[in-house]
Amino acid sequence: MKRATSRATSQEKSRTQSQEKTQAWSRFPALTEAGWLGAALLLALGLTVLVTLPSGASPFETIAVLLEGGLGSVTKLGRALAGWVPLTLCAVGLLVTFTARLWNIGVEGQVVMGAIFCTAALRPFDTGGVPEIILAMAAGILGGALWALLAGLLRVFGRVHEIFSGLGLNFVALGVTLWLIFGPWKRPGVASMSGTEPIDVSLWLPRLGPMSVSWAALALALAAIVGVGLLLRRSSWGLKLRAVGENPKAATLFALGPRRRLLQAFMLCGGLAGLAGAIQVLGVYHRLLPSISSSYGYTALLVGMMASFRLGPVPFICFFFAVLTVGSIQLPLQMGLDSSLSGVIQGIMVLSVFIVHGLRLWLRQRREAA
Amino acid sequence: MIVLQDIHKHYGRVRANDGVSLTLEPGRIYALVGENGAGKSTLMRVLAGHTRPTSGTIDLGGRTVAFLTPTLAREHGVGMLYQDPLDFPAMPIWENFQLGAPKRTKGQVFDVIGELSYRLDACFLPDEAVSSLTVGERQLLELLRLLDLGATTLILDEPTTGITPEQKRELFDLLMKLAREENHTIVLVTHKLSEALEMADAILVMRQGAIVATLTPPYDEGELVLRMFGDAAESEGADAPGPATPRPAALDAPPRLRLDNVVMAGPKYSMGPMRFSARPGECIGLAGLDGSGQELFLRGLCGLDRMPGGTLTLDGRAYTTNDFPVLRRAGVHFVPADRLEMALFPALTLREHIALAFPGRSDELDAFYQSQCVERFNLRAHPQTRASELSGGNQQRLLLSLIPDHAALLLMEHPTRGLDAGSARQVWSHLHDRCRAGATLIFFSPDLDEVLAHSHRVAVFYDRAMAAVVDRARATTEVVGALMAGKDPDQVLGGGQ
Repeated sequence: MKRATSRATSQEKSRTQSQEKTQAWSRFPALTEAGWLGAALLLALGLTVLVTLPSGASPFETIAVLLEGGLGSVTKLGRALAGWVPLTLCAVGLLVTFTARLWNIGVEGQVVMGAIFCTAALRPFDTGGVPEIILAMAAGILGGALWALLAGLLRVFGRVHEIFSGLGLNFVALGVTLWLIFGPWKRPGVASMSGTEPIDVSLWLPRLGPMSVSWAALALALAAIVGVGLLLRRSSWGLKLRAVGENPKAATLFALGPRRRLLQAFMLCGGLAGLAGAIQVLGVYHRLLPSISSSYGYTALLVGMMASFRLGPVPFICFFFAVLTVGSIQLPLQMGLDSSLSGVIQGIMVLSVFIVHGLRLWLRQRREAA
Repeated sequence: MIVLQDIHKHYGRVRANDGVSLTLEPGRIYALVGENGAGKSTLMRVLAGHTRPTSGTIDLGGRTVAFLTPTLAREHGVGMLYQDPLDFPAMPIWENFQLGAPKRTKGQVFDVIGELSYRLDACFLPDEAVSSLTVGERQLLELLRLLDLGATTLILDEPTTGITPEQKRELFDLLMKLAREENHTIVLVTHKLSEALEMADAILVMRQGAIVATLTPPYDEGELVLRMFGDAAESEGADAPGPATPRPAALDAPPRLRLDNVVMAGPKYSMGPMRFSARPGECIGLAGLDGSGQELFLRGLCGLDRMPGGTLTLDGRAYTTNDFPVLRRAGVHFVPADRLEMALFPALTLREHIALAFPGRSDELDAFYQSQCVERFNLRAHPQTRASELSGGNQQRLLLSLIPDHAALLLMEHPTRGLDAGSARQVWSHLHDRCRAGATLIFFSPDLDEVLAHSHRVAVFYDRAMAAVVDRARATTEVVGALMAGKDPDQVLGGGQ
């Protein structure tokens, strides 16, 4: 009996101690978050080492080359930022659709459609200035939004899940690009994968100093981050969209117009993706290419998942991924490795974040059960 | 003989079972009673091997184990009959019967079904699909299957929820026979005290995860209620059920709702044409077995299911289409039974719910929350609490507080689903207040007693049609039960209705 009591008190003591401990942790939530993120990064590093081992390359050297290739000079930083802009636009747009619990995998095709519409809008002009550029951007936004609306209509009225329609529409968009490049829009005399006739320099987006990124594009991406943040967190539209995503049946009962709101979410995301496509045309390639989207749409899905679809981490993850993508160009040149390794690393990072997140949930459940 | 020793089952901080010890002897009928959330189902799931207890032991005929698996439970003759029969409606009866049984030919299965049916006064056509059976027949089939598998201890979880009073009579006779003649152990899990009093050799009362009393005949009903509800029961007598609402507005007052030749079409079936009218201040209960049409009636009235024909007149305005947003603006408010699934946003906070339901109040949201939810509905939760964190009672309070004051026609599915007696009383007193203020309430509940206790008129549904509308004075369990079972209304009501 006595022993039992003393055990009980010692249990009691350890419980209060552990409570104090959790309190001390929870006082710095940001620190805890950073700690878990660090764990995820360490895991990702470990897995990357495992993947690069068979190729015989030193993993640390590989990572050093990747980072150096993306950050090593002002020019390289400019390239990384040029990749950051479309990636951020797409990822921020995907936050909107994900808030409505939509998996808008068609974002890739929406980038392509934006680029096509942008190029089409520029075709009547040989030279131009700010009005033409604005027109071309608006056309890009329209193209992306319409392409997304198509997936949205199929979802809302045809009960076709947006993953399937989006994937199909991605291929259609790519097919349209190829047809345009090798058909109606081919360069006089030649038709090649190198794309359409380049647009005039007067229609290019103005560059930021020696860097290949445009200040206008950067400003648009920043504006998109702030705008979507305000829209989702501060406006009643955002609250209603969250409600629709959370429970469409209840949204009907609250008369929130769930169908209309889903379509709006699709179009907003598509518009931002279309803008990304337009910027690829106006600021980066200055023509329509078959690979105009550079798979930024798919990469943006990875970014969104890694950020657990919260706005805060998105710009930073986008920057990191852009650096990896630009840096990977150096891999074949300096180390004889394939540049797709950067994609492998990106995938590993997302998986690591998931694993660590799952581990965290499991630990929490165990703590609560105990 | 089965002995449960000091069973604990904890879900996080919730102690569903908190040290339960229990002995079940063969040949006896036990009733396990208690409020919602008292831990009845958890205990029975432990016994059937579906839930692993946190601690404690189970003694089965001399063998002691720490937990059971469904297979182990079956080997020791424990069989559980769930509230909703766990069968496969698309498959024929004999295939359902054969599930889990040793390998047999179709002919052998037919013979076994025939033999068991004969012994137990049942009748099954083995080639028919289970979907053609009523809930009561499906239960019986499940019972037959468990007996065939060698069950000697039968656990029945709320077996009378979806069946007619007559089917209930037959089921109880059968259970009596099994206990008295074949020495089976029967455990009846129920919240209907009348059933426990009628059937059981011993009543086990559960409260807050523990067995607080074991009563033996002769029973004292007052004592039973006291044991079940504790302090809450004292006010029960004072606040007797029944609509405190005075008789609604005079017959010549303009009706709140009138249906002329209305046809309603749901995803599975349609019904009508129907005529019906309701006055301001009236409480109308819908009675009917599951799937008899009462669900479609409510969903059609608010515009969630289609109305392909007829005219719906609401406060003098005629509608030939039932558009949900239009009717909602006109004061029709639908409250579904499935709160988290259908009516609330689990991850949104209470404050956000209020903001969504009352868009005009966004500038003074916190003050409005305080007056609406806390003061009027006694919803004691921080406005930043998420809906999923609320208890069932608080979820229902939140839903009630989201109903705008101008709602003239309230349509409610099972208003007290999953609520304990105290919360249920609060809900009903609020609904009666609304009716007294002139609102019309149309509701259904699978609990016939609740329908009878709170309605001025009862509309009975049978076979996807409104069979009859019975006035409060004539609405007794026998009359409504007979109508629910499909008896001819002229015969039951004497042709006068």
